[in-house]
Amino acid sequence: MVGRVLLALTLILCGLSTARAQSDIPILSGGAGFFSATQGNNTFFQPVVAPVLVVPFGEKWLVESRADLRGFISRENGSTGPYQGQFLSTLEYLQLDYNANSHLTITAGRFLTPFGIFNERISAIWINKFQDAPAMAAIGIAGGYSNGFMLRGALVSNDRYVVNYATYFSTLSTVNKLESERTFGGRLGVFIPSVGLEVGTSYQRKLQDQRMNSFGAHLSWTPSGLPLEVKGEWAHSLSGHGYWIQGGYRLSQLGGPNSAIGRLEPVFRMQQFFRSRLIAGDSLPSTNVHRPEFGLNYYLPHEVRLNTSYGRQFIAQSTDVNVWEFGITYRFLFPLLPGESK
Amino acid sequence: MRHRIFVAVALICLWGTFVVAVAQTVAKSSQKDSKSDPAATKTSQTEGEKRFQANCGRCHNPPESISPREARAVVRHMRVRAMLSAEDEQLILKFLAP
Repeated sequence: MVGRVLLALTLILCGLSTARAQSDIPILSGGAGFFSATQGNNTFFQPVVAPVLVVPFGEKWLVESRADLRGFISRENGSTGPYQGQFLSTLEYLQLDYNANSHLTITAGRFLTPFGIFNERISAIWINKFQDAPAMAAIGIAGGYSNGFMLRGALVSNDRYVVNYATYFSTLSTVNKLESERTFGGRLGVFIPSVGLEVGTSYQRKLQDQRMNSFGAHLSWTPSGLPLEVKGEWAHSLSGHGYWIQGGYRLSQLGGPNSAIGRLEPVFRMQQFFRSRLIAGDSLPSTNVHRPEFGLNYYLPHEVRLNTSYGRQFIAQSTDVNVWEFGITYRFLFPLLPGESK
Repeated sequence: MRHRIFVAVALICLWGTFVVAVAQTVAKSSQKDSKSDPAATKTSQTEGEKRFQANCGRCHNPPESISPREARAVVRHMRVRAMLSAEDEQLILKFLAP
């Protein structure tokens, strides 16, 4: 009996010791938000929760996942009738990563398709400076999510320049909520730290239905010493081509980033899409679209941000409409195991 | 007989746990000693801040408050997302959790 108790005690001690030695804890991060948008006479509301789960295993393995859970509340007949809502859930990524070495990470599972910069880097609700995605951002991303494997990392990284890459193969999946297309492609970017400039190019080959190539180019510029951010993308496919470019200038030079004025960020985005051919299911507008947008974001304490914007949408063979958007986002981060306090 | 085997195994495991715990403590204290140079620590934190601004700050602000344990998981997540090298990962970790 004494032996069993000792053995149990030992196992508990071993477990605690291992837990203490295991310094990487799983975390639950992500964002929550509430968005409203009025396009012409149609107003809709979207409460959103986008949790991110990160579970490290040992020194090299990592499981990470992000979901998007949102309600869509609108009037029954667009601009009239009672409000009705529907719930939408999306598993955006659920991937296993292996950090093979300093320059290579091998990923398997469901991941965000690496084409351009919007889908992978900006689409998170707590990052995007506008509420919605640019219309042309659907080019080359195959619905946004891919099921397969990916190789990515920094090919070269030094003080003068960084060359980053991502290449992947995705398989066809028609499983409900886990859909993906059979594609392969990749992205290559060069970042010059001294001027804060990244330029890059993307490619995707669709290997099912109407086989086609998509090409893209992107830039990101954040000059050092200035709270300015400029980002843009251009992409082309059989469906059409288009671009978006956006700029944001945080007024932190007026009294510091935590002053009442310094928390403001005027933003601007211009986007155009030109339809070449109608291809079913490409998630792109059916006609040409032009949309300039102006916005004002306000960074409140405790990771809360207010987003407002006004845009004018010009749609070929249709009535032009005003687009008013307002939203609030909250970025959260919790450890999933008890431990040190912040 | 089985009783004695249980006791022996338990004592061996306890001893092993003790040895591992002591080894970890010694390793940590020697790490602390090697990192105790304030100038070197400050330099790597500054470099870490630069790498953070260059890689992560292009998309989002640093988190307002974060514990060292959370920082480790966050940086490993960002290593994959932002395609950081192992060196960038370590320097950014020193900036977020000095």
